[in-house]
Amino acid sequence: MPTMTVNGLRTNVQLASAGSGVRTGETAVFLHGMGTDSLASFYLTLAPPVAAAGIDVISYDLRGHGKTERPHSGYTIADFLADLDDLLNQLQVAQPVHLIGNSFGGTLAFSYAATNPDRVRSIVCIESEPATEIWAGKMTQILDHTVNFLAQEESFDWIEANFSAHHRRLARMAADRILNTSMVRDVPLGPLLTWEDVERIRCPVLSVLGRYGYQSEDLEALTSLLPRGELHVFDGQGHSVLVERHREVRELVLSWIARQAP
Amino acid sequence: MSIEACVTDDVLGTVSELLAPLVGDLDVLDIQITRDTAFHEDLGLESIDLVTFAGILAEHYGPDVDLAEFLSQKDLDEVIELRIGDITDFVAKRLAERG
Repeated sequence: MPTMTVNGLRTNVQLASAGSGVRTGETAVFLHGMGTDSLASFYLTLAPPVAAAGIDVISYDLRGHGKTERPHSGYTIADFLADLDDLLNQLQVAQPVHLIGNSFGGTLAFSYAATNPDRVRSIVCIESEPATEIWAGKMTQILDHTVNFLAQEESFDWIEANFSAHHRRLARMAADRILNTSMVRDVPLGPLLTWEDVERIRCPVLSVLGRYGYQSEDLEALTSLLPRGELHVFDGQGHSVLVERHREVRELVLSWIARQAP
Repeated sequence: MSIEACVTDDVLGTVSELLAPLVGDLDVLDIQITRDTAFHEDLGLESIDLVTFAGILAEHYGPDVDLAEFLSQKDLDEVIELRIGDITDFVAKRLAERG
């Protein structure tokens, strides 16, 4: 599938559609998370059923992730948003899209909707929150912890002993990205959204989270801020909602998009 | 050997050849791909490589051989433990469905 030059970077893009089936005219864009994540977490879970439902699907590896080029620097939210904007322009997507973001991808979805309200039909954010100062503080803490952890060689032994060799490789990949680029410094810089910016996001928002995930403390309050927000909480679930509960997330997403028809 | 077993063996050979762009030259690397070869663990590949491989399979066999759709029905641990035999059986099944 295509490698496109997006905002100056070689970018891995995967498109899916219903093919000869009925198409609804709706488009969903999947935005994956940071670190070990790639478009695979959506492409191998939600993309096929969403495409089969007649929704055109755009998945791509964010800058520095998966098979997309990894520049040494340039990882502010503004950089990621410029990529998304250029991608939609190049693909000539004229209608507003459904942005479906996992973790950091959902954060990008909020920022994109805040700055490009006419291009977003709805947001589905999975274990995500907008890039407010609270988010930046939380991200800085998580990233600092991650950097310290990944900088120690014995951490990889611990990961393999407690999870698997596969997880060890994933951690190595994340370490390579996190320790050898300016990602950790850039991401919390935003630009951040004020609460007023968040309140001005008018598109419908479906927040999906785990009871014990990263947003468990404040997302209910946040959802009440959004005028057309819905919240779905998976009991007994941590941050990995997308991959561990993908069948249920699929039903939520398909039902959500069907209800957003203009 | 049954016709079905011959077809599956043939598919295994083709799948092995199609993996080369991701894994490297199998002869040079001295990798013998069998039905038991694990995609992630034995070949050192990642989920994003599965996406690439899905594209390679669809290009070779046609869009109805949709590995992503097949994998979207599986749980995470099944995908992590995916073996070449699982992929071979899936491809052979799709080919058989064409009649």
